[in-house]
Amino acid sequence: MTVAAPPTSATTTTARRSGSLPALAFVISALLLGAAIPVVVSSQLMLTLATQAVISAILATAIGFMIRQNGLTSFGHAAFFGLAAYTIALNGKFGLLPTEVAVILAIVIPSILAFVAGLGIVRLPALAFSMLTLAVAQGFHEIFLRWRELANGDDGMSVKLPSKLFGLDIGLFQQASSMFVICWIALVLVIFCLWTIARSHFGLLTVAIRENEERARYIGYETVMPRAVIYAISAAVGALAGVLFVLYNTFITPGALHWSLSGEALVMAVIGGTRYVWGPALGSVIFFLLKDAAGDVTEHWPAIIGILLIVVTVMLPNGVSGVLIALANKLKARAQ
Amino acid sequence: MIQLINGLVYGSFLYLLSVGLVLIFGLRRVTNFAHGGMFMLGAYIAYAVSLYFGFWSGMLVSVIGLAILGVILDRFVFRPLAHENEIVTLLVTFGLLFVIEDLVRTVWGKDYITVPPPPILSGVIPMFGATFPVYRLFVIAVAMIVAATLALWLRSSRVGLYVRASSTDPVTTGMQGVDTDRLSALVVAIGTGLAGLSGTIAGPLLALQPSMGGFVIIDCFIVVVTGGLTSFTGVFIAAMLIGQVHNLGIVFVPELASMIPLLIMALVLTLRPQGLAGAGK
Repeated sequence: MTVAAPPTSATTTTARRSGSLPALAFVISALLLGAAIPVVVSSQLMLTLATQAVISAILATAIGFMIRQNGLTSFGHAAFFGLAAYTIALNGKFGLLPTEVAVILAIVIPSILAFVAGLGIVRLPALAFSMLTLAVAQGFHEIFLRWRELANGDDGMSVKLPSKLFGLDIGLFQQASSMFVICWIALVLVIFCLWTIARSHFGLLTVAIRENEERARYIGYETVMPRAVIYAISAAVGALAGVLFVLYNTFITPGALHWSLSGEALVMAVIGGTRYVWGPALGSVIFFLLKDAAGDVTEHWPAIIGILLIVVTVMLPNGVSGVLIALANKLKARAQ
Repeated sequence: MIQLINGLVYGSFLYLLSVGLVLIFGLRRVTNFAHGGMFMLGAYIAYAVSLYFGFWSGMLVSVIGLAILGVILDRFVFRPLAHENEIVTLLVTFGLLFVIEDLVRTVWGKDYITVPPPPILSGVIPMFGATFPVYRLFVIAVAMIVAATLALWLRSSRVGLYVRASSTDPVTTGMQGVDTDRLSALVVAIGTGLAGLSGTIAGPLLALQPSMGGFVIIDCFIVVVTGGLTSFTGVFIAAMLIGQVHNLGIVFVPELASMIPLLIMALVLTLRPQGLAGAGK
């Protein structure tokens, strides 16, 4: 078995680093923009909705990153989301560890699970992978649904949290105005980190494996491990979304593990487009804006989402972000 | 003993639904996520018709209706998307599942509906010192008849030969002069028709609810992956196996029952990545 060392060609690294400065400026302005929103928007309802949108955006980003790097579509990311949330909830119930440790474990455990499972399942055909992720996530859902002694089944459980977390007052996590900023920072940092990974040698290698696994192997790369690592990273991001969710809501039901949650986040990722790391987050914003605009017809929301999914998949293979970038490039070309 | 027969009932039911998925996968190389939705739709159609014309008419209308829907699905979804990435079709059928669920919820509401078995199949018969519902035996019988008919059809008729050939290699089969598009319309119709049949059967077995499709389809996916995606024998064995462990799991370790089929599948895939009876790649 050959484990390839990353090549340290100086030229590629410098060429690639040229994009970092504008990116950093972009990150800082995105952070400032997010911090400004609670100042400008005073409606509690809008802020609550925005906070949910940002948490969903993190989950959608996780799924999108998996599609982008591995070409595998996960229908079961709610497993990581829900397991992370339940880790904190159960730790609060049994009082095992300090909550700070539980928060870290809540992200580490799903990542390890994904990595170990990934060593086996990333090799499967893409369709079988999709079916399997769905089945496994639903298996976890059933456990938390039926094992009433553990987590009170379908009625859900409220989550005991200490008064301070990481030195921050716990109230900060439960008010929409402050929690929005926390989640926003998390989202921006996640996108920045994933973007950096995607541009790194490792990120390019996984794209190469996605395009042609056999050739990547012939060149001498180990092809299973990198894909499992991507799956673990994606799981960690999904778990982070679960952590934020449970800190914000302080209540959890097995719905946090249900396939419809995975499905919704997947729909967001597809609508936004997965070619760009930030696409799924955009998809989440569009999703929530549409849901809000749907107003009276929200009863038929599933059908709207279903039709939207079909239209976007068939007509816009790169999603809305792909259309935006194509438009921007056209404008740039005209300006020159 | 009774538990083993109950497992057989659930296995039979899984087989009826999963074999449709295998048929469609074989011809079109797509996973029909909407299969669960069609199953659920079939159950509701059968229920609606049976209110006025009885159980058997319900079954007939449901099977034929779903088969027609299958032809439409093949013509307007699978065929145009045949050259796209398989995930595209998966996502489109996933979208269809949402639409079908919403449709059914709008027409019939989201409350549980129970359907009585037809008079001739209601009642119980004594078996192994206990009593057993006749209807459950009927489910096993239907699955066995379907399995035997399919096997006979696939092995001895010309069309069956084409279907098997297409499942192995659609391109070469097309080159030999078989009209794979027409064949596929037929096969998808049979597959969705079987979804209608299993929906009808599920009526008195489970309670009707719009979310039942998404729930059942997951067990079917486990069956199909374990069986090896394209194998008709594999799906039969896998369905019986998963049905059995699922049922025993519910009896003995209800909390963890959902994980046992997954463990079986993981075990099978570790030992034989191509599934129980799947052909190696």
